[in-house]
Amino acid sequence: MFPKQEVVAMLLAGGQGSRLGVLTRKIAKPAVPFGGKYRIIDFPLSNCVNSGIEAVGILTQYQPLVLNEYIGNGQPWDLDGMHSGVNCLSPYQAVDGADWYSGTANAIYQNINYIERYDPEYVVILSGDHIYKMDYNKMLEFHKEKGAACTIAVIDVPLDEASRFGILNTYEDGRIYEFDEKPEHPKSTNASMGIYIFSWKELKKYLVEDEAKENSSHDFGKDVLPAMLDAGEKMYAYAFEGYWKDVGTIDSLWEANMDLLDPNVTLDLKDIYSRNPMMPPHYVSSDASIQNSLVADGCNVYGNLEFSIIFAGVTIGKNATVNSSIIMPGAVIEEGAVVQYAIVAENTVVGKNAVVGEKPEDVTDHDNWGITVIGANTVIGENTVIKAKEMIESNTEVTADEK
Amino acid sequence: MRSNNVLGFIFAGTLDEKNPELSASRTMASVPIGGKYRLIDFVLSNMSNSGINNVGIVAKSNFLSLMDHVGSGSAYDLSKRRSNLTILPPYGGKTFSNYVETIYNMHGYIENSREEYILLSPSNIVTNFDYNSVFDFHSKNNADITLIYKHGVVPSGYDRPLTIDVDENGRVKQIFIKPEKDDKKVNQFYGSLLIKKDLLMEEIRNSLSLNQLDIKRIIQKSIEKFNVYAYENTGYCAAISSINDYFEFNMDLMKKEVRDELFNPKRPIYTKVRDDAPSKYGLTSSVKNSIIAQGCVIDGEVENCVLSKGVYIGEGAKISNCIVMQDTKIGCNTNLNYVIIDKDVTIKDGRSLMGFDSYPIYIAKKSVV
Repeated sequence: MFPKQEVVAMLLAGGQGSRLGVLTRKIAKPAVPFGGKYRIIDFPLSNCVNSGIEAVGILTQYQPLVLNEYIGNGQPWDLDGMHSGVNCLSPYQAVDGADWYSGTANAIYQNINYIERYDPEYVVILSGDHIYKMDYNKMLEFHKEKGAACTIAVIDVPLDEASRFGILNTYEDGRIYEFDEKPEHPKSTNASMGIYIFSWKELKKYLVEDEAKENSSHDFGKDVLPAMLDAGEKMYAYAFEGYWKDVGTIDSLWEANMDLLDPNVTLDLKDIYSRNPMMPPHYVSSDASIQNSLVADGCNVYGNLEFSIIFAGVTIGKNATVNSSIIMPGAVIEEGAVVQYAIVAENTVVGKNAVVGEKPEDVTDHDNWGITVIGANTVIGENTVIKAKEMIESNTEVTADEK
Repeated sequence: MRSNNVLGFIFAGTLDEKNPELSASRTMASVPIGGKYRLIDFVLSNMSNSGINNVGIVAKSNFLSLMDHVGSGSAYDLSKRRSNLTILPPYGGKTFSNYVETIYNMHGYIENSREEYILLSPSNIVTNFDYNSVFDFHSKNNADITLIYKHGVVPSGYDRPLTIDVDENGRVKQIFIKPEKDDKKVNQFYGSLLIKKDLLMEEIRNSLSLNQLDIKRIIQKSIEKFNVYAYENTGYCAAISSINDYFEFNMDLMKKEVRDELFNPKRPIYTKVRDDAPSKYGLTSSVKNSIIAQGCVIDGEVENCVLSKGVYIGEGAKISNCIVMQDTKIGCNTNLNYVIIDKDVTIKDGRSLMGFDSYPIYIAKKSVV
């Protein structure tokens, strides 16, 4: 028997994140590197620990190897307690059969046993693709105060962007009367952040009911939450103020990284924990020039950096220029290469004098401009030119002749 | 000999008395160095990477920061069911200034450990070294004692160091005490040796019974009775014996070949990690030929410097040839040259401090300038 935990967090990390293209070929979206030394999952995990949540289940399904290895015993996040901590929960075989997680609600349903070991009062459901810092405790207090069955965190978004989000329409006291998924004509600007607190008894009831419905897609947003609302459960929207960004697309991932360099953005990286690579401090040579950039341990910088995020163990060659780009761990940008408005994934080599990506102002066809992405373990040959918005597959070799 | 049959034994207070500035608030083992490390990280990582499972660290005084830094030893993979790191504070409240009594004082720990051999080491040696080569050398030669030495000029902080003469097989012919300081290159025994535990304790007991407390004399005499061999550390090896050595080593890190050898990814140097963000370079920053740890915020000009974790350099600051330890704040429009600045120091806006190549200025921990 485990000591009781008032709150258990369940982190949904099983999705493929197909909109990130080559970046999630071999890793799950929450394991995608972010901010110079982190992975996306460090944010919700650190939030849990900083909110005093000691039991966290991570639901994995798609390409879990790197994520499992990264989480390990949970020590970097203080989640290696004797009776609690972090567990990666993958789909499993049981007496009555074996099932993949067929939806977000089904994933939680299949792990009811895990949750009940802790006999919790509340369950927090989180997703692994958002960058933000939040004290879940404050949200829990709100949930208790309202006597709610479910509380959903919302953020105020600009009206013209509201149709991209799930919008919650509420009464003045925050009680939800309607869900509006990606509405054409939004009635409010309260966008759901994908963070839910449930009273466990209620959630369990609805999960069991939902599982029995044959035509259900077993999804929180599409099935469980509407069912609860229809049944007249007390559901509230909790307004969050601060930085929050969904990093599910190449553009938003790039923007969120660039936000770290913007003094007007309120996100700071204090108290975000991660697994640290064992590398020496970075070296900046006499020929280098670095402006408005983040640089991690283990890098060797001989070239020029502007508005860029440089992860651990990266080498920037002499006279190479990296501008408005994200260079992930172990990548090498060789002499004279130019990388701009691009994401270069782990251990990729950009050869001498190669040009990757284009500045938006240098492109005539603005509608087709975009961030260039080079997958992991790829070699871009010398003098090769990779245009804006191109995406180069992982584990490939591209030479100038082929182009 | 298998490395798990060797007990590591490190003296934390090596040359404490020769470095009154750096070791004012800490023992030499925990002097911050190379941007993110403490001196002892090198010896400890070498031992761990060589497969040594048990390491004892003799701590004489001011060892709070050492305990805080090495903790349980988990950062060095020395905190597992079959591996341990133990800090050995003064037993019975007694501290000794000579090695003979210091070792004897810890005889309980040494004799209770399950290893057959013991590797003694000072804490002030910066090198990336595989001790397995010494273990093989020792076994192959049926040696009783193997001394590890380096060839070069003796660093200035050593008084009357031991130098050795070896034959072509590595057997020690003679051991001298070098009376004067000069620029001659010699084979310096820097305090690291391998010996059977039983033999060490027997010799220590014999010496105590004769009131012979001079370890140099004991080592010199050992060649009369035992098979004494010596193994050269041919790699990069800096013995930090004075504030000038300290300064020089930090500046050596600007050389690629030194970094590549010292931070060989196959034999990493471990240290206690702190959750610092990557370092942030501002729009007005200009950094040349420098080593920068994580968590720094740089808005000024930095040249030929080593900046530790969490250092802040204000706009308009000009910092050259400086070593800045963690969490120090250097204000705007300051001008610093050849300065070693300890932890948590505040240099206020507009201040100027100038040292010289051969005489760097030292600013003590938590000072406000």
